[in-house]
Order: sequence, then C-alpha cells, then structure tokens
Amino acid sequence: MPVTLTINGQRHQLRVEPRVTLLDAMRTRLDITGPKRVCDRGACGACTVIIDGRTYYSCSMLAVEAQGRNIRTVEGLTPIDSATGATSRAGGVAQGKLHPVQQAFCDHDGLMCGFCTPGFVMSTVALLEKNPNPTAEQAKRALDGNLCRCGTNIGVLKAALSAKGVVRG
Amino acid sequence: MDSRAPGPGAGRRAPENAHDRIPDPGSRSPQVAEVQAPARPPQHPKYPWPEKPRLIGTRISRLDGPLKVSGRAKYSYDIARPGMLYGRILRSPHAHARLKSIDAAAAEKAPGVKALLITIKPGDKILYPGEEIGALAAATEQQAADALRLIKLEWDVLPALATVEQAMRPEAPQVFTPANTRRGTAQEDGDLAAGFTAAAHIVEGTYSTQVQTHTSLETHGSVCEWNGDNLTAWVSTQAVHGTREGFAAGLKIPQANVRVITEFMGGGFGSKFGPDIQGLLCARVAKAANAPVKMMLDRKEEHLVTGNRPSAFARVRAGVAADGKLTAFDAQTWGTGGAGAGSDYPLPYIYTFPNRRRTHTDVYINAGQQRAMRAPGHPQGCFVTEVLMDELADRIRMDPMEFRIRNLPAPGPNAMWAKYFPMGAERINWKSRHVTGDPAPGPIKRGLGCSANRWGGAGQGARAHCEITADGSVVMRCGTQDIGTGNRTIMAMVVAETLGLEVSQVTIEIGDSNHPFAPGSGGSTTAAAVMPAMRVTAGKARDALFERMAPQLGVPIEQISIGVGTVVVSPSTRDSLPDGPAAARSGQPPASRSISWRDACRLLGTVPVSVDGQWERGLSAGGTSGVQFAEVEVDIETGITKVKKIVCVQDCGLIVDLKTAETQCYGGIISGLNYAVFEERILDRNTANMVNPNMEWYHMAGPSDIPEIDVVLVDQPERGVIGIGEPPAVATAAAVANAIRNATGVTLRSIPITPDKLLAELQRAGGTN
Amino acid sequence: MKAFAYVNAANEKEAIAALSPSARAGQRDALTAARSGQPSSVPISGGMDLLGLMKDYIVSPDRVVSIKGLDQSIAGADGGLRVGAAAKLADLAEHAQVRKLYPALATAADSVGTPQIRNMGTVGGNIMQRPRCWYFRNEEFNCLKKGGSRCFAVEGENQFHAIFGDGPCHIVHPSSLAVPVIAYGGRFRVAGPNGSRDIDAGEFFQMPNTNLYGESVLQPNEIITHVILPAPGQRSAGYEVRFKQSHDWPLAMASVNLVMSGPTVKSARIVMGAVAPVPWRVPAAERVLAGKTITEAVAVEAATAALAGAKPMSGNAYKIQIAKTAVKRAILKAAGA
Repeated sequence: MPVTLTINGQRHQLRVEPRVTLLDAMRTRLDITGPKRVCDRGACGACTVIIDGRTYYSCSMLAVEAQGRNIRTVEGLTPIDSATGATSRAGGVAQGKLHPVQQAFCDHDGLMCGFCTPGFVMSTVALLEKNPNPTAEQAKRALDGNLCRCGTNIGVLKAALSAKGVVRG
Repeated sequence: MDSRAPGPGAGRRAPENAHDRIPDPGSRSPQVAEVQAPARPPQHPKYPWPEKPRLIGTRISRLDGPLKVSGRAKYSYDIARPGMLYGRILRSPHAHARLKSIDAAAAEKAPGVKALLITIKPGDKILYPGEEIGALAAATEQQAADALRLIKLEWDVLPALATVEQAMRPEAPQVFTPANTRRGTAQEDGDLAAGFTAAAHIVEGTYSTQVQTHTSLETHGSVCEWNGDNLTAWVSTQAVHGTREGFAAGLKIPQANVRVITEFMGGGFGSKFGPDIQGLLCARVAKAANAPVKMMLDRKEEHLVTGNRPSAFARVRAGVAADGKLTAFDAQTWGTGGAGAGSDYPLPYIYTFPNRRRTHTDVYINAGQQRAMRAPGHPQGCFVTEVLMDELADRIRMDPMEFRIRNLPAPGPNAMWAKYFPMGAERINWKSRHVTGDPAPGPIKRGLGCSANRWGGAGQGARAHCEITADGSVVMRCGTQDIGTGNRTIMAMVVAETLGLEVSQVTIEIGDSNHPFAPGSGGSTTAAAVMPAMRVTAGKARDALFERMAPQLGVPIEQISIGVGTVVVSPSTRDSLPDGPAAARSGQPPASRSISWRDACRLLGTVPVSVDGQWERGLSAGGTSGVQFAEVEVDIETGITKVKKIVCVQDCGLIVDLKTAETQCYGGIISGLNYAVFEERILDRNTANMVNPNMEWYHMAGPSDIPEIDVVLVDQPERGVIGIGEPPAVATAAAVANAIRNATGVTLRSIPITPDKLLAELQRAGGTN
Repeated sequence: MKAFAYVNAANEKEAIAALSPSARAGQRDALTAARSGQPSSVPISGGMDLLGLMKDYIVSPDRVVSIKGLDQSIAGADGGLRVGAAAKLADLAEHAQVRKLYPALATAADSVGTPQIRNMGTVGGNIMQRPRCWYFRNEEFNCLKKGGSRCFAVEGENQFHAIFGDGPCHIVHPSSLAVPVIAYGGRFRVAGPNGSRDIDAGEFFQMPNTNLYGESVLQPNEIITHVILPAPGQRSAGYEVRFKQSHDWPLAMASVNLVMSGPTVKSARIVMGAVAPVPWRVPAAERVLAGKTITEAVAVEAATAALAGAKPMSGNAYKIQIAKTAVKRAILKAAGA
C-alpha cells in the first residue's frame, strides 16, 4: 500500500506491504541504515528513532502507522554536506559538524563496535531535549531501553552527563 | 521462480555440497585462541618503540567515531546492492530427529522466490535445534519468510539430551558416536595423598557455570555477490582472510576468486571467524539466483547456532595447611559445548597447588556448538578457583586477599598480582571489609570480593603495505579488521608516531582481504600482531622516504630524521666540528633545518614510497595479569543483587591508546557482570529447545544495572604491545560471587547468581527475615 | 509475520465493525478461530505487543484494525479518574494528579518496560497484552494456550511462572497496570457491537480453566475504551521486585489501597501481580489489615496471609518469598512507614 513517511524533514513516498515495519521500510527501501535491526522485538533499542519528540522502537511500529508523524533518525542529527560527501573511508563526517551528543559520544568513547550507538545517541538526544541537566540516575533510566553488548555504558553515561548545548525539544 | 535458478533438485544432485552433519566445530568455525609469547622480549634492533612517545599512551578518540555516531558507518547488515535478494535459512525445529520427507514444491513456486537449496535428504539426522537444512532467496524479506514456511518437513523425532545430567545418566540414549561423553586423561602433578595429609582443612564442593551465548548485536551473515566466478562477500566477521579461505574451501574455488570485505562489524566476541554455513549457503543461493543475496541471521538463529561459552562443572576437593599454604587440589570436571564440541577450561586457575589432579569430561547435548568466547575457558576456571579460594581462606581465618598473595606463582612481568592486589584494595577500601556475612541489621547486605586473571594476548603474522605520496598522503593497508576494539585508531597512532604526523594525516585501510594478510581478531591477538607490523612498515616507509630525499638534499641518509610534522636534516658530524668549514665561516655551530612533511614528500615526484612490512619480534610480548574487586549490595528478602562498584587493575604491556584501552576494560567487566548475575541460555529440559532466544528473557545488564567502574591500567612500555580485549572479562564474575558471599554469608557455587539460587541458599542458612 | 490487510478505523464504531466476525465471510469459522485464540481481525494500538506476536507467528490475523483514534485523555471524573485506553503509559506515569492520588498506578506505569515502550504503549494495550510465557511465545512449543495438549512449564522451565491458580496453564498475567486498577476498585469501559458497558476490573480477567485461549472476558469484537477509577483510599502504594533494574518484567509486584480511619486501616485492597494467570487479589491479607495500625509486624502478617495459598511449581518457590516482600513493602510504603 502507498505510504508517505516524513523522515528527518524529508517526505518519502513508497509502496510497502502493511506488515513492513518502520525500521524495515527505512532500512530496505530508503537506505536509512543508522537505525539497526538487532532483536527486532523492542528489547534492545538499536532501532530507536524519535517520533514527535519521543523515543520509539522503529522495529515495533508498522510503517503505515508512522504516516503523518515527524520521524527523526540518527542521520538527521548531522545533515550530510552534499558538496563534500560524508562517508569517505578514512574519517568521514567532520568533527565540527557533529551534534553535541554525537560529539560527546566520541569524546568519552561511548562506542565500540558501534552497532548500538545510533540507538543510544537518539535516546540521549531525546533525554537532553527534555532535560538538559540530568542526574546520573535520570540518565540511566532514560537509556534503559537500550542495550550494548561491547559494554560501552560507562562512556555512554559520561557522554549523556557532559553533552551541552542540546536545544530543548 | 526465476527461470535462471536451478530448483531444489540441484541441491539434491550435489552431494559433494551437502551439508556436513558430523559435528566438527573446528571445520565449521576456525577459532583463534590464547597465544603465548615471551613475557619480555629483547627490543627490536631497528624500529624499537620510542622512549618518549608523542602519541602512544595518550588519549585519542576513535577515528571511526564520527561515522559510527552519525549512523553512516556501513556494516555488512547495511550493505545494499543493485538487484539484491534476501535469503533465509531452513532450520530444524527439533533437537534430535531424522528427516522422513521434505516437500519444497510450494516454496519453489512462491511469489518472489529466485533460488532454493535443500541440503538434507530423507534419512539424514539433525542434532540440534536450528541446524541448517536448506536456504532460499526471494525478492523481499517477507517473501523469503513466507516461502520458508511453505516447505513441508516430516520428522521422526528422536530422544534428545537437553542437560549434562541427562547425557551422563547410564541409561541415557546414545545420541552421539561413540558416546555422549568423552573422558580426558588425568592431569597430575606432585603427590596428592601427601598434599591432603598436609592439609589442616579440606573444602569439598561442586561448582558450576552456565552456557552463555555471544549475542553480538550485528547478527552473523553476509551479502554475497558473484561476478562470473568471482565472489565478493561483505561479511560480519572477525577474520577477513580466514573467511576468504573458508569461502574458497567451502565453495571449492580458488582463494584468488574471493574478496571479503568487513569495513565495520557489530561485535563477534569469538564467534565470527569464517563464512560459516550461512555464508556458504548465501554464496550458493546467490550463484543459483544469479543475483546478490543478503542473508543475515535473526536474533533467534543467532542464539541457537552461532556459538556459545560452554558450561563448566567441577567437583573439587582442596586442602590448605594451617600456615595458609595450599596443599592439594583434586577435581573431576565436566561441561558441555553442545552437539559434539568440547568444554575444557584451565583449572586450577593461577594459584599454586603443589599437588594436584584433574580429569575433564566433555559432555555432548543436543544444542548448538560452542565457539571461542571472550577469554575462552578462563572465566570458568577463574570462578571455580576463586570461590574456592574464599572458602579456604575462611577455614583458616585469613584475609582472602592476603591468602591469595601467599599462594601466587613467582612474580614476573606477566605475573604482577602481588603488586596489583594492594593497589585494588586501596581503591575499593578493602580495609572496610567485614568477615563473611554482613553483620549490619536490615535486609540490605553489603560485601566485597576479589579475584585475579591472566591471559596470553600475544600475536604475530600481520603484514602491511604503506604508501607515501608526493602530496604527503600516507596510506597504510592491512587485512586486519576492527571489531570494535579501536584497532583502526591505534594503527593510525603507531603510524603517525613513527612518521611524526597527527592521526588525522594517516589513512588506515583495513577490513578487506585484498589487503596484505593479517590474522583473525581473536584471543586478544590483534594489537600484538598488527602494531609491530605498523611500526616496522611505517619505519621502512620512513627509511625509504629518507633514501629518496638524501640524494636530492645532498646529505647522507644518517642526517635525516623525523620531527613533528617535519623531516629534520641535521648538520653533518664534520660540519659541526669546531674546525669544520661551516663553523669556520660563521663562527657558530650549524643548526639543523626542518622541512615540512609536505615539502619533504614533494621530493618524491610521481613515484610514491611503497613498502611492505610485517610483524617482527621485539615489539610485542605475551602474558598479562590483573586483579578485580567488587562491591555489592544484596537484598536478602528478594535475592536481588546490585553490583555497586568494580575496581580493575590490569596491565597489557605498552598501552597504545589509553582511552580505548580503558574502554576495553569497561566492556570486559560488564560482560563479566552479565556472566555473574544475568546471562544464561535456558534450554527446555524436555525438548532441548531454547526458551529464551531473544533479548528479553536472555538477561543482559542495561544502563541501570551498570555499576561504577574504576580502571587502573598499568603501563609496561618495556614489554611491547599485548592484547587487552579479553583479560578484563575473566575475573569479574568471581569477584562478584565472592562479594555476594561476603555480604550474605552464604556460598553460591553456581553462576548466574539469580534470586532463586540465592534465596534457596539463604533459606538453607536459616531464613531471610 | 503473515501478510494481512490493514484497516484504519476512524472511530470506535468503525473499529468494532471491522473487528466483528460477521464482517468476514464464514461466521462460524471466524468464531472458531476467535475461540482458539486466533481471531481473524485484531486491533492495533501502540503495536508493541501485537507485532511481536505476529513476528513469532503466535497470532496471524487476516487483518489488523488500527484503533489509534480512541480517547487518550487522562482526567478527573466523578470524584475519580478516567483514563482513555489510547493514553500512553509515559503520559500516565508523568501525570501529576495520577502521581499524587493514584501512586500505585503511576508507579506501575513508570515501571513498564523501557522509555520507548512507555512512549509507544497504551493503557489499553498494557491491559490486553498477551502473556510473556516463553512456551507460549515460542512457536516450537504447541502449548495448551495455542491449542496443544500440554503446558510445557509444568515439567519444564517454570522459574517465572505462576505460584497461584491450578492451571491447567501456568502463565502469569503480564499487565502491570491491571494490578493497581483492581486495587483501586476500577472498572473497564468496553465498547462492542451492542454499545458500551462497564466491567469491574476484578471480574474482567479470566483464569485458564474458564478461558484457556484468552485472558479476559473481552470478545474479539470488543475494545476497552476507558479505565475508570473511583476515589482512592487515603493511602496507597505499589512495589515491584524485578531481577534487572533496567528493562525487565516484575518477578512479583503488589498494589495496596487503604481506606483509613485516622491511623487505623478501615478497609484494604491488596492485589499481587506476576504471580498468577490473573492479577491476584488477596482478601485474607486485606482482612489482616482491617482495623489495625500498620506496623512492620502487621505488614509481615498480611504478607504471610497473602502467600498462604501459594502452590509453587518445581522451580519457582522462591517467588513466594519475593511476592511476600513485595506485599510487605507495598503496605509499609502506603502507610508511609
């Protein structure tokens, strides 16, 4: 069925079966692969996106049900400069262009293999847009919907507590 | 059905390609284990590590961080190719069964299906749930899943072995050939009888650890694309070269025809060293469909068939003399690595039992096979030994840390526990520790515990190629991979250090089997294998640059050296002599002059520096030691444990990037925390099917479960580089278990320490409130 | 997940029509399917639970009816509280009036799953979600609840299963909200083909010996539209024991609602969760509190009474101790002791 999705401010029109999740529609139809498919059952948070200001598991929502909503993925935090491109092998996105949360993740080494990272970044962004100065307990609770297997949690928490300059959502 | 694709008959007609149903973990997944090397080798004669490094040992942020935090790092799971199909694997729903019949006709005709392959025939047996029996590819994921369900299978379900107890019963059905168990030979040392005679106290007990699965976030899988007879495969692997070899062997094609790419991969922890069956099936259906195919496993498949850490059981009898010296250790051990795979582990661990005997028995059950998992064997051996150590210490009323120090092997660069224990004790406030059993009133009991770890962490065999071009670019190519450790970053640090550059000036290209050979990333061998290759290759490139510069500058090569972002040309010895011509002219000693890196490289003209190098002796070593301390709070009315703090004192030779090395420790500790209290593969005891093949009931610590972690990394620059991925994962579970024992006064000899076990022990000990 | 048709219901009436078996060809087949727990049409609200069930082929409906248009307001009504079924758990958890007057409900809502689940999940969805029993959720096990012949938990892995109820199915009810709703004496407003009716929350859930394939009296063509709570007692609280402090299900939970007469309990309602196939009210424990001033000893006595009838399975006796602690602590928390 025809579906119109607004992702990172861009409208996408596509035809998908009703059973296709928002996550799968983004990943397989729109090449938006920042959100990851890990547990596919709303338990790990790797697919986390922000919809109308709140974190959602995109694996647990049908694409058709996401119509008319303002969907933000990790890609939307750092718009690609089309002139330079952003995915070169060596470095890619210039440091200066990162969102404060992304920068904090880099500075505090809140990532290892990186597969959980987009989800953690989005949960942190949603937290800080609501509460720019969370306590450690508040930050942990806000991130409890995300799992990391490498064990980056210490760096992630440091990043969540130190990222500054996030605009209130 | 696509007309180009052969039907399922093609699979049946090709017995040489039929799925191998004889369990052999070695052939399915080559594993990289612990590698030992001299603890302190003599220095490399030509390219030793710098005495006063500029970058090495500092905190450098990951070079691939920006790509990963922005979601733009493309993992194998994210690869999309034009015309790509989606593959799914047909698997056994049973633990032990014989196929009666199979009918794939409907699936073959199902919408979108382009290729279908059956690798089992009636009469064949399967030995664990999820065992691969076929595969198909279709235009969409949904069509592939739909088609898979149209395949009709009839089975004779056979008795299955779900637990080691079931497999070891004398009356158990014989499922495995020649037997359900394989008893090893006894390892003996000293005089056991004399050891027990000398003991003032003897502790006897049975210890156990669970099966845990790797649970890599990126599942196993690949995208396979053929161009004629040449295969390009984007694989989630810890070994691009090993995987190339695996594809070639499995598909019976030359290695030269295979290219494996892994630019980013989402965790492996020892489970991803080859194409595996799913990789070969992906390549085969891609060939049959004449289109690229993506075949990534789902979470359930990941739990069932991609490896696990074997369980461990140990019936131990150990003695201690009145003076606190260990005297004897006698153990029968067993465990299961699944269907036909081993389960051995080092025991006793670290401490010196002068008289000992140990016999291990592998027990086979109808479950997926084990693979190397983060420090294979060590967490098991550590848990059994370290909990025993606390029990022995209590018998002789000795502080458990003091008791450990008294029974350590001789100190050495790779055996520094006697120094590290007091360091960790200071940071956990060990002197506040009460004796076993928190005397404080109320349901919340606090406790401290400690334990020690060791690991090899040596490596070798990596090769690299370095190019320096006239525009100053430096490209280092190496067929290693970054599995999340920060390999890319520390490679750049070593190259930049050697060439006097910043890390951002160095391009590191890895994760491609077309690059020079490097071994798989397992056993914490990568840093020790690759950093020497970086140092040597960058050093050779530097020398080659100097060789090219020298005649153009008109100075001997000995006068050229590396500065910071510059190449430095020193005055000649003759020039600097007081009576030399230059001095005579100016009356001043001549100064050295600096040429910017860019200007220096410009002298190369159109022909770049292009050199090969490899790992050489003298830049890396083997053997690490570390200790950990845990502080816990146990609610004895609920049996819930909260780990409050972990202290880790760990060495790994020369630390390259302090930032990523610390992160390795955090990660290892969190994996040890999971092993201590949360994770467990739970099989239904009646069917051997896994009941928690997800991330909901397969418990793993989330943010609110993570304790404070205090890491002290001990730098040993004189030893060279040693791996650190695994050592910090070893000791945490034992330290936590000992802290729980110290808090509650009850001994849990089994992990994970779940509320049911803890409450049962507390009740046995006299009630919970 | 099996393919299905998607219906976007604009309102309650459309939703009910789309969910009604008569709307499909073959009424008898549809009824049979509904009785076996396989209705041909199912409602979707937040979708968290339904998508998991469909991905695991536990339910495979022919069509899915979106009921997102339902009321999602949370407001005082008739001296009590009225919560729209489409209200998000996060909104309920953060609602100032709910936190103040119905702390057991706010605590329960705040403890559900994860931030993402609370952002997506609705009140109605939480109440109607299907059991998390790992035999029910695994396609390999054709258990009683799915039309099979045995409950695999009985001789299998039952550490998270029920300690009350006599089977034949041993799930624990998964709804955390249902527990305080019953403790507060709430009711569910249900819309169906014949209009709207209110059902006492205490009579809404059904034991497996009454309804094996479902967990409540709700028919496949009915939907919950509101949760309605009367005025709370002067003191109330909830307490949950969970294994992981991050995302996890309770090992046991308890909600306590006390009507006070000065320092003395006039009457009490105590309901336990995660211990039985339905939220488990314990009148024996309520009677212990009546007429007493809450002390630790009284709380322990009530908790002991609450668990007196427990019949643990082979591997879950430890839950008795945990549930006992949950009841004790909920009582003490309610009393402010």
